[in-house]
Amino acid sequence: MWEDLGRLALEQASKLGASYADVRISRILVDNITVKNGMPEIVALSQSKAFGVRTMVNGAWGFASSVEIGKEEIRRTVERSVSIAKASAMLKRKDVILTEEKVEQDKYSTPIKKDPFEVPLEEKLEILVRAERLLAEQSPLIKTSYSYYNAFRENKLFMSTEGAEIEQQITWCGGGFMGIAAKNGEIQIRSFPASFGGNFSTNGYEFFQSLALIEHAKEKGQELAKLFKAEKCPSGEMDVIVTGEQLALQIHESSGHPTELDRVMGTEADFAGTSFLTPEKLRKFMYGSKHVNLVADATTPGGLGTSGYDDEGTKAKKVHLIKEGLFTGYQSSRETAAELNLGESSGGMRADSPLSLPLIRMTNINLLPGDWKKEEIIEDTKDGILVMTSLSWSIDDKRINFQFGTEIGWRIRKGNKEEMLKNPTYMSVTPQFWGSCDAVSKDDWKMWGYRDCGKGMPSQLMYVGHGCSTARFRNVRVGIMR
Amino acid sequence: MVVELLLEIAGKTVKNAAEKGVSQAQAIVFLIDKALTRFANSQVHQNVAIRDGGILVKVVLDDKRIGVFRISTLEEVEIRSAVDQAIKVAKATQPSEDFKSLPEPEPWTAIEGAFDKETASCMPEYHAQKVKEAIETAHSKSPIVKAVAGYISTNSISFAVANSLGVSSSAHLTTAGMKTTVISEKNGSEGFGTAEKYSRRVGDINPTVLAEDAAEKSVKSVNPVKISAGEYEVVLSPLAVGTICGNLAYIGFSARSFQEGRSFVKYHLNKQVFDEKLNLKDDARDPRTLYALPVDGEGVPKKTLHLIKNGVVSEESICYDSFMAGRENKKSTGHSLPPLVMMYYDVPLPINMIVEPGDSNLEEMINETKMGIFVTFLHYTNPVEHTKAVLTGLTRDGTFLIRNGELTKPIVNMRFTDTMLSALNEIPLIGRNLEIVEGATVPPMKLKKLRFVGISRY
Repeated sequence: MWEDLGRLALEQASKLGASYADVRISRILVDNITVKNGMPEIVALSQSKAFGVRTMVNGAWGFASSVEIGKEEIRRTVERSVSIAKASAMLKRKDVILTEEKVEQDKYSTPIKKDPFEVPLEEKLEILVRAERLLAEQSPLIKTSYSYYNAFRENKLFMSTEGAEIEQQITWCGGGFMGIAAKNGEIQIRSFPASFGGNFSTNGYEFFQSLALIEHAKEKGQELAKLFKAEKCPSGEMDVIVTGEQLALQIHESSGHPTELDRVMGTEADFAGTSFLTPEKLRKFMYGSKHVNLVADATTPGGLGTSGYDDEGTKAKKVHLIKEGLFTGYQSSRETAAELNLGESSGGMRADSPLSLPLIRMTNINLLPGDWKKEEIIEDTKDGILVMTSLSWSIDDKRINFQFGTEIGWRIRKGNKEEMLKNPTYMSVTPQFWGSCDAVSKDDWKMWGYRDCGKGMPSQLMYVGHGCSTARFRNVRVGIMR
Repeated sequence: MVVELLLEIAGKTVKNAAEKGVSQAQAIVFLIDKALTRFANSQVHQNVAIRDGGILVKVVLDDKRIGVFRISTLEEVEIRSAVDQAIKVAKATQPSEDFKSLPEPEPWTAIEGAFDKETASCMPEYHAQKVKEAIETAHSKSPIVKAVAGYISTNSISFAVANSLGVSSSAHLTTAGMKTTVISEKNGSEGFGTAEKYSRRVGDINPTVLAEDAAEKSVKSVNPVKISAGEYEVVLSPLAVGTICGNLAYIGFSARSFQEGRSFVKYHLNKQVFDEKLNLKDDARDPRTLYALPVDGEGVPKKTLHLIKNGVVSEESICYDSFMAGRENKKSTGHSLPPLVMMYYDVPLPINMIVEPGDSNLEEMINETKMGIFVTFLHYTNPVEHTKAVLTGLTRDGTFLIRNGELTKPIVNMRFTDTMLSALNEIPLIGRNLEIVEGATVPPMKLKKLRFVGISRY
C-alpha cells in the first residue's frame, strides 16, 4: 500500500519536472510515562502517520509534507513540493549536485528481544513508582522526584526516483529518574543514569530493565542529600576527570555539532551557528591530543543513532572524525559531500519525522576507548576534580568556547577521591580542551543516548548516541560561579 | 471555517468518550500549516511546506486514573479508536491524587486581527521575492558583505478544545517572521550582524529594513578587538532582552518550576528583586503580542498575569494549567501550551510577555554610557542555577564597545555568567519602542552591570 503511494508520488514528481525526488512515509509510535511524587503525571501514547516529498527542480530543492495520507493529498503535496523547488531555483547560485551512492533495496529492523510496545503498562509503572519512591524516601529534603520511561518505534519507507526502496523499523526505549532537593533556598539535583530523562538505546524492553532503576535509587537519593553538606567547587585551573554521562554531552556539543558539514558550509549561520572546523583544516588541524579518536558510527550496537540507512538512502557506516587528535572527517549528506568533493556521504541525513526535511544530524558520535582503567586515572591525578552528570551547558556559535556545569563532583588529591563537591562548573576552548586530554579509560566505555538534540527550522528533535568512557583533561578552568 | 470543523470533531470525540462511561473527557484538535524558506550563502537552501494536524484525547476515570492518546489524523474511525486507546491507557494506570478536574467552561471571545488571510495563503514565490530583496539589499550596502543568511516563515494555526464539562473553545491565528543575518569579511576577519521581525501579518515584514540593519552591524563588526572579562554596563537590543525574558519564564514563572522548588520566584515572594522600573506582564489579548490566543491548550481563557510588577515578584507571577493549579487548589490561569508545534507539552508557560516600555531609546542609552558593551544577540543562553536565576550565554552577531557615549569598535564575543537578580536590579534606562521577539514583546534596555567571565577565542 505504502509502496503504491510512494510510486505515485515519484511518478507525479517526475511528470512535473523533478530531476530527482524521494518520498518518506512512516508511522511513529511513542509511549511516554512520567511518575512524579508517587503518582503518574503523564501516561500518554501517540501514533502518527505522515509522508514527506523532497523534489529537485532546476537544480534546487523543494519539500512538502502532510499528515493526511491518501492519493489526493499525495498529488497536492507533490505539486506543492515542486512549486517550492521552482521558487527556490529563482534564488540559486549553483545547481545542487549529489554524490553517487549505491541504490539500495533493503529492509532493516532494530534487533530487539522484548518488544517494548507489548509490555503491559502496569509493569512499567510499577518499576517507575518503586524507583521514584525509594529515591524520595532517602531524605526529607527531597521535595520532588520523577521517574521516566519512553519508548519509540518508527516504521518507515524510503523511495527515490533513482530506484531506492528501503523499509526500516527503528525501535528504542529507556528511562531514568531525577530527584530535586531543597534547603533554605538552595536546590540540588541528582539524576540516574544520566540527565535529560535517563539513558536510551536502540533496543528492546530488556534495555530498560537493564538500567536497574530500583537498585540505584537509594544510593542516588543519599548522594543528593549529602550535596547540601558538600564543599563548593574550587575556583582555578586544575585537572578535570569527566565521567561518561557528562563526557557524552561534551562530545555532543564540542565534537558532534562542529563536524556537521551543513554548519561548516554556513547553512545554519542564521540560527545554530557555524563551525570553527573549516574545510582548509581537514586532515591538517590537530583538534586534540593523540588520545582522542572520534568516529561517527551509525552501526554501533544499541546506539541511539543506529539504523540501517539514513533518510536519503545512504547505508549506515562508520567515519573517522578525529584520528589520534587529527581532524580527519565530517558528518555529511550527499549534497554537502559533493560540494566538498568528499566522494561519499557519511550517511548523516536524518529527520525526526516524515513531516520534517532531513538535515545532517549526529548518528552515534563516539570517543573510542583508551588504555586506562577509570580507577587508574584517578590514582594518577595529583590535584583535580572529578565531575559527573550534566546540569548546565552553553557553547558559542562556532562551537569553540564552552561552559558546563554538573550535578556532582569530587576533589581528587594525590590519587584519592576525597570530599564531595557541589555545583561544579568548568569552561574551556574546544581544541585546547581536547588537546589537554591525556587519559581515556577502557573499562567503563558505554553508549549514552539523548532523545532531544534540537536543530533546524522548523525545530527538529533528533535521537542521537554517544559512546564514551571516563577521560582526563589537564589544567582546565573550574569553579566559574562566584 | 476550519475551526468550526475542528470544534465539531472535538465535540463529537468528547461525546463518544462520555458514552463509554468515562468520568471526564477532553479533546484537542489542531491543524497547522507552516511554510518556511531558509537562505544562506545568499541563496535559498531549504524551502518547506508542512501540514501537521491531529487530535489529543484525554480521559479520566472515576478514581482519577488518566489516559492520553494522540493521533495525527482527523479520520472518524481512527478518532474513535483513539478514544478506546485512551480509555485502555487510563484503565492500566494508577490514580493521580493531584488531579482535581478538567477546566470548567468560562466565557471567551475571539481576538480580532488574530488571523491574516494573506499570511495564511502566502505562496513560495512571495517568500522567494522577500528573500531576494533581503539578499540584494545587504550586498548593496558594502562590497565586504560576503554572505546573507536567514529565513522567512508564514504559519496558520487552528485548534479547538472541547471537554465533558462544557468547554468548547477555539483559536485561529497566523504568525510570520523573518530573520536576516549578514556576514562580512575584510582582510580575513569576519563580521556578523542580525535583525529579526515578527508579526501576525506577513505584510508588516520589510526585508529591506532588516537587511540594512543587519548589514550595517555586520560591516562594522569586522576586525573585533578583545577586551578583558569583568563587569560592564550593557545596552541590550530587544533581541537580547527577549532571550533573558524567555529564560526567566522557563526558570521562574512556570508552575512546574515553582512547585518543584526550583523557581527563583518562590524564594523572593513579594520582594523587590528587580529594578522598580521593570514591569513584565503576560497578556495574550494585547495587540502587541505575536500569538493571539484567546484560550490556552485546555480551552481556558488566557488570563493577564503581572509576572513582575514594579520589580516585585509574587504568587501572581506563576502560570498554571488546570492540573498544576489543582495541586494547589487554584484555578488555571490559562497557560497550558496549545499544540503550536509537534510535541507534548506539560509545562505551563507565558508566551505573550510584554515589558512595559520606558521613555528612552537606544541612542540615549549609548550616549549615557561611558564604558560599556552593546549586545545585539545572546546565543545559547541557559540557566546555571535556577533558584538564583543564574544564566550563562554568549554575545553574537554584533557586539560593540561603548566609550564616552559612542559605539567605538567591535569586540570579540564574550561569555556572561551572572544572576539576573543582580543584572536586572539596576536598569537605568528602558526603551519606549517595543519589538516582538517571538514569545516576548520587549524594548531595548540599559543594565548597570552584567558579569562577563570570558571571551571567545577563534
